[in-house]
Amino acid sequence: MGIALGVAFALQYYQFRDVELPVLVVAIAFTTWYAGNGPSVLAVLLSSACFDYFFVEPLYSLEISSRDLPYFLIFVAWAGIVASFSAVRRRIEDNLHLARDHLQVEVEQRRHREDEIRKLNLELSKRAVELEVTNKELESFSYSVSHDLRAPLRHMIGYSELLQKQASSLLDEKSQRFIRTILESAKRMGNLIDDLLAFSRIGRAQTKKTRVDLKQLVEEVVAEIGQDTRGRDIAWKVGALPVCYGDRSMLRLVVVNLVSNAAKFTRTRKPAEIEIGCVDLNKEEVEVFVRDNGAGFDMQYVDKLFGVFQRLHLPEQFEGTGIGLATVQRIIHRHGGQVRGEGAVDHGATFYFSLPKNVQDTAERTANAS
Amino acid sequence: MTTLGRILVVEDDPNDVELTLTALADYNLANEVVVTRDGQQALDYLCCREEFSMRSPGDPAVMLLDLKLPKVGGLEVLQQIKSDERLKLIPVVVLTPSHEEKDMIRSYSLGVNAYVVKPVDFHEFVNAVKELGIFWGVINEPPPGSMEKLR
Repeated sequence: MGIALGVAFALQYYQFRDVELPVLVVAIAFTTWYAGNGPSVLAVLLSSACFDYFFVEPLYSLEISSRDLPYFLIFVAWAGIVASFSAVRRRIEDNLHLARDHLQVEVEQRRHREDEIRKLNLELSKRAVELEVTNKELESFSYSVSHDLRAPLRHMIGYSELLQKQASSLLDEKSQRFIRTILESAKRMGNLIDDLLAFSRIGRAQTKKTRVDLKQLVEEVVAEIGQDTRGRDIAWKVGALPVCYGDRSMLRLVVVNLVSNAAKFTRTRKPAEIEIGCVDLNKEEVEVFVRDNGAGFDMQYVDKLFGVFQRLHLPEQFEGTGIGLATVQRIIHRHGGQVRGEGAVDHGATFYFSLPKNVQDTAERTANAS
Repeated sequence: MTTLGRILVVEDDPNDVELTLTALADYNLANEVVVTRDGQQALDYLCCREEFSMRSPGDPAVMLLDLKLPKVGGLEVLQQIKSDERLKLIPVVVLTPSHEEKDMIRSYSLGVNAYVVKPVDFHEFVNAVKELGIFWGVINEPPPGSMEKLR
């Protein structure tokens, strides 16, 4: 303000009249621009006072003659307008700056994120390639297992049987038992390989999903297993079962595994009771159970139930390779459902599997599961 | 008058050859059995080339083909036979140890006449080979041009 006043005096001294107004106004504009709103109000007041004191008749007094009143008022108006314009412009400019900085930060962040996404994508595609390679390896592994491991087994069995036939008259009872053991073990290994291959096939096979009438499916399986267990005293009970959505042949395998397990582990019971039913028909999710009054199991080992080749009984008690429940679990997981088992030693077991009821549910859950 | 077809066995494993021959002999099948040990040899036999240039004429009544063979694989042998105007009538039975779906689909699309998975159990294996021998070597009427031998 002082500088402006000095400049105005100097100009007046050199007989430049009427320049004090623009000089003071410019000073106000500068003040507003650089110092903000408070000093700008002060500048307007101060410059008005100075203008009145130094440039308005009568000079050097704060009084204003009626002749110069319009001149003073014009100055004040100009001062006010310029100050507010300046302030508004300043504000806009500040906002613009702020917005620009903000944008810059955002651009920076976005670039950073894009870099990250690119890096992740790269990693992902690398993983996908790795997975594909592993998958191929697994496939060729199971291929050679099924081709190459079975051949020597077949030979072991074949030649043992030929030996049995050719030399049975020459061999004593002990030697004959040895041959029988060789044969049994080789056959058992054959079964293990077959089961393992079937299990791995479930993981790779495409599921062909349709509407499946569980009631019909279960009755079919019960009739089939009833044939195999003729002569045994089994009380079958099949409750109401819903229609669900899934791969029929795979779901059939689930039911066959669970029901034949129930039949197997109730072998010592008279009568054996096997019940198949649904927990709650009205729920969104279908939960089917297979309950028996058989040998049961210790809940302590419940985590092992669904593992591959995990068995909770001795082979002399109950035969089996220990892959049935693992197969059940794999199929149900592929359908987006869950499996669980409950039981107590000598008090039977109950196995549950859940399935989504509708098409969309199945699709979503399978997507989530994978 | 019954006639017996010649059976061509293509099998690389000597044990499998012996077991197959034992199974065929078990039933006293009097068919002539020819064994070739790899895909190339099998094709040479069918085309009367190389070591088989002097063989007795006529096509086998059936060919029992293993899939995993040295040099030329079983599927390739099958493809060559089925795409050859002169050989494509020969009945081919794939005899393989595996249930591999890929092999099955490929074999059938190439026009295989039967696909048999070798059972691990010896009795079942013997039965399977026997029945194949009886069906293709005795019951089935082979295409014209097969070498036949009077019983």
